[in-house]
Amino acid sequence: MTGSLNVVGYGLSAIGPGIGVGIVFAAFINGVARQPEARGQLQGIAFIGFALSEALAILGLVLAFAI
Amino acid sequence: MTTLATAPAPGFDAPGVDAFDLPPIFGPVTKPVVLLVLSAVIIYVLFRLAVRRPQLVPSKGQFMGEAFHGMVRNTIARDMIGPEFLRFVPFLTALFAFVLVNNLFGIIPLIQFPTFAHPGVPYALAVIVWLVYNTVGIRHHGFFGYLRVSTWPPDVPWWVRIILTPIEFLSNILLRPVTLSLRLFGNMFAGHLLLVLFVLGGDYMLFVADSITLKLLSPFAFGMAIVFTFFEAFVQVVQAYIFVMLTASYIGSAIADDH
Amino acid sequence: MELHVAAEELNPLVPHLSEIIVGTIAFVLLLWLLSRSVFPQFERVYAERTDRIEGGLKRAEEAQEQAIALKRQYEEQLAGLRAEAARIRDDARAEGNRIRAELREQAEQEAGRIRQRGEEQLAAQREQTVRSLRSEIGGLSVQLAERIVGTSLADDARRRETVDRFLADLDGIADERDDGHVAARGTSATGAPSGGAS
Repeated sequence: MTGSLNVVGYGLSAIGPGIGVGIVFAAFINGVARQPEARGQLQGIAFIGFALSEALAILGLVLAFAI
Repeated sequence: MTTLATAPAPGFDAPGVDAFDLPPIFGPVTKPVVLLVLSAVIIYVLFRLAVRRPQLVPSKGQFMGEAFHGMVRNTIARDMIGPEFLRFVPFLTALFAFVLVNNLFGIIPLIQFPTFAHPGVPYALAVIVWLVYNTVGIRHHGFFGYLRVSTWPPDVPWWVRIILTPIEFLSNILLRPVTLSLRLFGNMFAGHLLLVLFVLGGDYMLFVADSITLKLLSPFAFGMAIVFTFFEAFVQVVQAYIFVMLTASYIGSAIADDH
Repeated sequence: MELHVAAEELNPLVPHLSEIIVGTIAFVLLLWLLSRSVFPQFERVYAERTDRIEGGLKRAEEAQEQAIALKRQYEEQLAGLRAEAARIRDDARAEGNRIRAELREQAEQEAGRIRQRGEEQLAAQREQTVRSLRSEIGGLSVQLAERIVGTSLADDARRRETVDRFLADLDGIADERDDGHVAARGTSATGAPSGGAS
């Protein structure tokens, strides 16, 4: 069995952003369910939050390959 | 014959990053280069066909072109950018079409390689997006006004600002294009690797492995490859959508008057 | 371990220069071509469609407003006409009543006049009859008297005198007769011989 330990580390580091993205979209769905007319505004905020937490996972991916 | 029969089958060599090392067709031209040109030609031809004879009551082709353009225009650009959205609709639509077609190359038979599984073009597109939203923001607020809008969130105590302002600068100015390009690249890379893994795995089980059990189980590997092809189709569309969505939201936050 | 080394060499994060160049050119060219020839068409069609729909709605609204105005006008006219018709009917009824009353009055007047004329004619005829009878009776009486007396009463003065006296007597007899039926008949029966005697 061969492989890179870096990738295992990346897998572990992706747990946190995964949870974060889940929380962001859960809150977005809740918000839209409560106030459907605010969808447009919430969508922008949700995608910015998603991008922010996803960025951490992407940094992990970069470090997994770069180091 | 006997040597072949007695020799143990080689172990399964799982595909890795070397699956993405494509040999050049001639000179520096590799498969992704051809695909990039092909995607641009396909998009241009389809759009030209859609507007060949523009009518009030659209033909089928015109309707599909309008649906595509209208989707980017009304659900992405208008919601994300605000009143000045019309200026950015051509850029966003072209971006969406370009990313979408290149992504979908990953599941189109005989092509089967998502161009953006190589990071070059995502980097280039992210740089273009970075230039666009920073230019727009600076033009709208002035240089220092734009810096203040993007790194100086209002109603924050000073001791939070010490940490927050560098983070905002880092995330809004420096990290945005990096994450934007790497998100696209990472998804395409992983998706393609997944498909290659299942196909090569099934191939190994059916043709190379000695064990009869593995030969019998190989259809499951191919079945998984088919299931993941559908999943990849979904992911590719979603990634193209998110790429354009985030671009629009960066432009929108750059020209928004309040943070 | 060899694989690992190979993966290090083929770092997937390292971009290929040819792809960057071709991808950038392809995208920029695509964007330029599309925004030059395709997207304006879409926007034009959208604008045209919006204009058509909104224009249609506006035209429909105008037509409806016109129809409403026209309807109101018609209704006003109709109400006016109805009032006029009622007025005309009332007028006609009043006129009819008036004409009827007039006609009745005329007829009554006519009837009265006819009756009066008849009465007048009657009276005139009576008077005429009385007058002719009186002269006849005078002549007859004179003849009778001449024949009885045997003398000529040619002398006009005397004759008129005689006749007048006789007529006065007759008048007196007529007056007495008017007083009562039986008594008058009695006196006339007695008066006539006396008159004749005188």
